[in-house]
Amino acid sequence: MSSSSRWFRTLGLALLAIFYVASSFSTTTVNAQSTALLGRKLAKFQEKATKGKGVIELDSSSFEEVLSMPRNYSIVVLFTAISPEFQCVPCKNFDPEYKLVASGWSKMKDKSQLLFGSLDFKVGQAVFQKFGMTNAPSALYFPASSAESAPAGTPPPHQRYDFGKSGFQAESFAGWLSARSGVPLAVKRPFDFVGFALKLLGVLGFGAIGHFMYNRAGKILRNKYIWAAMSLFTIFVMISGHMWNQIRNPPYTMPGRDGRPGFIAQGFQNQFGMETQIIAMIYAVLCCSVISLISSVPRIEDPSKQRFAVWVWIAIFGIMFSMLMQFFRLKNPGYPFRLLF
Amino acid sequence: MSAETSTVARILKPTILILIAVVAIASRLFSIIRFESVIHEFDPWFNYRTTQHLVKNGFYEFWNWFDEKSWYPLGRVVGGTVYPGIMVTSAIIHNVLHFFNFPVDIRNVCVFLAPMFSGLTAFSAYLLTKELKDSSAGLLAAAFLGVAPGYISRSVAGSYDNEGIAIFLLVFTFYLWIKAVKTGSAFFGLLTALFYFYMVSAWGGYVFITNLVPLHAFTLLLMGRYSNRLYVSYSTFYAVGTLLSMQIPFVGFQPTRTSEHMAALGVFGLLQLYAFAELVRGYVTPKQFKTLLKGGVSAVAIFAVVGLTVLSFSGVIAPFTGRFYSLYDTGYAKIHIPIIASVSEHQPTAWTSFFFDLQMLIFLFPAGVYLCFKELKDEHVFIILYSVFASYFAGVMVRLMLTLTPVVCVSAAIAYSTLLDTYLEKSEHVLASNLAGGARPTVAAATTTATVTDAPAEPKSKKAAARAAAAKAVESETKAKASTKESKETKEAKDSKKRFPIFNWDSRAMVIMQLTWFLFMFAWHCTYVTSGSYSSPSIVLASRQADGSQMIIDDFREAYYWLRKNTGEDAKVMSWWDYGYQMAGMANVTTLVDNNTWNNTHIATVGLAMSANEDVSYQVLRQHDVDYVLILFGGVIGYSGDDINKFLWMIRIAEGVYPNMVKESNFFTPRGEYKVDHEASQTMRDSLMYKMSYYRFAELYGGNAVDHVRGARMPAEGPTLNVLEEAYTTQNWLVRIYKVKDLDNIGRDLKDATAFDKGKVKKVSSLKRFVKA
Repeated sequence: MSSSSRWFRTLGLALLAIFYVASSFSTTTVNAQSTALLGRKLAKFQEKATKGKGVIELDSSSFEEVLSMPRNYSIVVLFTAISPEFQCVPCKNFDPEYKLVASGWSKMKDKSQLLFGSLDFKVGQAVFQKFGMTNAPSALYFPASSAESAPAGTPPPHQRYDFGKSGFQAESFAGWLSARSGVPLAVKRPFDFVGFALKLLGVLGFGAIGHFMYNRAGKILRNKYIWAAMSLFTIFVMISGHMWNQIRNPPYTMPGRDGRPGFIAQGFQNQFGMETQIIAMIYAVLCCSVISLISSVPRIEDPSKQRFAVWVWIAIFGIMFSMLMQFFRLKNPGYPFRLLF
Repeated sequence: MSAETSTVARILKPTILILIAVVAIASRLFSIIRFESVIHEFDPWFNYRTTQHLVKNGFYEFWNWFDEKSWYPLGRVVGGTVYPGIMVTSAIIHNVLHFFNFPVDIRNVCVFLAPMFSGLTAFSAYLLTKELKDSSAGLLAAAFLGVAPGYISRSVAGSYDNEGIAIFLLVFTFYLWIKAVKTGSAFFGLLTALFYFYMVSAWGGYVFITNLVPLHAFTLLLMGRYSNRLYVSYSTFYAVGTLLSMQIPFVGFQPTRTSEHMAALGVFGLLQLYAFAELVRGYVTPKQFKTLLKGGVSAVAIFAVVGLTVLSFSGVIAPFTGRFYSLYDTGYAKIHIPIIASVSEHQPTAWTSFFFDLQMLIFLFPAGVYLCFKELKDEHVFIILYSVFASYFAGVMVRLMLTLTPVVCVSAAIAYSTLLDTYLEKSEHVLASNLAGGARPTVAAATTTATVTDAPAEPKSKKAAARAAAAKAVESETKAKASTKESKETKEAKDSKKRFPIFNWDSRAMVIMQLTWFLFMFAWHCTYVTSGSYSSPSIVLASRQADGSQMIIDDFREAYYWLRKNTGEDAKVMSWWDYGYQMAGMANVTTLVDNNTWNNTHIATVGLAMSANEDVSYQVLRQHDVDYVLILFGGVIGYSGDDINKFLWMIRIAEGVYPNMVKESNFFTPRGEYKVDHEASQTMRDSLMYKMSYYRFAELYGGNAVDHVRGARMPAEGPTLNVLEEAYTTQNWLVRIYKVKDLDNIGRDLKDATAFDKGKVKKVSSLKRFVKA
């Protein structure tokens, strides 16, 4: 074993020596020429960037070109799928944020160190395959090839921006990028005059309506049943685990597998959007049957009608509670209790 | 309500309450019976250690205690950074018992403290619900709260934590507050403040009271229900309560500075202004009053806005603290403070947890809230506010299920007992009360009229009042509403008064039987949950073997005992922060970080030492004088809470402080998976944590090792360790302790030294081969 490792070491040394000789030979002769070439390449893409307000629209071939070695600039590429047929909502959400960062950079005086590219799945499928991209959007940062990091034309490793951890905000993306590239990136959100005006108008309009309809609005505001409905709604939403959905963003449903209904998530501490809505409905019906048994049933004057109402509500109560337990058993298979079924 | 006063009821009620307390205590003793009287989990070990210190050295020594054995080399000022309530409580109980010559060990006082207080909690739930409805609902509420798993989860025997007494204080403070608002007595206001002080001394969750009580006062103000009762009770509570709460060193000047406490101060000021305006109103004409009010309100508003802005910009008022932010903006913690996000108690609550902890109460609870709306006296407003906010908070954080549980029990008891009232009542009684037009306590509609007309009606003032300034407007509007709508209200009341008894015995029987059955189900559910999920001490594990016999896994204590007996008095042991309290409490060694996560940088340094390669780690370990490193490894017995599963959090926290030395993405495979087998990334394999976990693991199975937690087949050749040597591994490999090697005594690199020690044989063999060739 040790002899084999020694062999490798010798081989490595030999290779290194060869590379060193080769590179030192080439640098002396081609140096001037390559600088000019590099400058031309950069100028070409910078022109493209100014056209696209800081972002270069790439396709498979221009992607290869802009990334080709050697290059004296670093580039960040957003792999996205903006066309409507892909229905990539996060792509659409992140697109303006990305452009914001790019346009902020394009307004700088010296912008030769960093380029912003964007590659749509439609025109860049080959590149997507090459990088093994399974989901969009993804942002990759390709550092510049400086002499010490890539002596033999091997591209330095790229880095991926983690959307799951850092989020879709332009600020966090800019922070990540400037930490990698070493250039300052400031995000200046343009002041949204239209939005502000709309908001102002809305507030004023709402105030005016409120002022003119004071009596009516007051009536609504003072109606305790409206407040009761609002409070109960909040409570139902909360106790059915809506905040969990808000924070964890689970899918609404999933295709069911081996006999499991698709709207129930596997695992005790996991849930789908639809699941929580169903639970909220069950809670609401159960609560409604309790309230009816308390308030509406005693108002029925006719004994037989009253009996009928009691039986109906109690049946709903029992069935719903059994369903709830059934649901719970699906989530927690060891749960030993059941009611009707 | 004849039953309320009868002699039988007078004997029955205390008996039932005592029985409830007995049941509440008994159902928390599973862990004692199964294992032994032992302190559980993590935080309780710190509380236990400080309590021991307090009992041994007295209060002043405790107050000034600087603990140099934790957070090495920083140390920790314990007296100024703890909520001392629970320690002082058990010390007092201990001393009282010893005064009467009961030689009870302090450990047993600590172990049984939470169950004892749960009996008191049940009693205070009774008192609170009695104020809202009647004593039968109160008894139900006490029974519910006594056995509800949502509360048991934090108060089983051995779970010696702040929440154990804090929930009692929470419920009792709320009861006293409601009593104070109802009676308007400064005495009850004072009692509220005193128990609020106790609460502040016991648990950080006191902020819930600090905000809920002012919110209640403010809502009453908005509803036009200002009264002298409210003024007296709130002013007493706030003034005394705030002054008292500032006596706790850990709280200090927070009540006057941080935003969490500003609402209470604001409402206090508002009430004073309101009371002053009421006073002025009596001395001037209405027109003058209007001008005065307009001027006054705008002056106060401008002053407040300017003052607040200046104060918060100049830094006198602290911004919202991190943990608080994570309650409101749920994305905040995830991005900014991984240490908060890493604590499982700070995770959001899935619906299953609600059902698991509260079972049928969870859907009776909204019904009870609805009934509160029907009645809507001052105290019902409080319960409604409490319900809405507590359910929101419980949704955001699993841990706050604890604050929701009392109100769920109270509210569900109101609903349940109203159902029972409706279906058990004798028909003659109902008919009689209907004919007499008297409002039954269960039928609320009529009472609303009564409360609204509490204030003197002001006929024809409607239009004038509508234009008056904000604060005044609300109030007189209500009054105006009362007068103009009186006819309508009475009509409504008449409608709802038309209630009939339940005529048929079969309907009654059906409902009552079903309800009773549900109660049985509830009791079974609670026992099942308590015994199955909430009674594990987590320092002793139990598992079933294939033949059904029980196997006790006691590796933690084994390891801590080893440390206690085999390391020097001042040995520094590094571990992930989760085990800091236990090590300090059981092994009596110096720790680097513990569960009091006050210094993120220090924790990140430990994270760095765990996640970096040996060379970097060794530097960190040497810099911090570490003698031993302790890790948890569950791969042998399939214990999923081990350090490799927590490793991502260590990496994330370390990356937050040392972004250039640790990169989370390097620990994943190229496909973004978290792997430990032969596919694991190089960074992962080089990390100290990986090496410590799997060191000699393959040998255990003769090269065919399978990690039972992650279901991974491990490479036949395990990692090598150069800077550490294995010191101790427990019976089931759950805890592994490594000794940090000293510098090599002939100045070699430790790597070379290890290779030399191991490589002797190899060198010979390679030489032989060389000779052959």
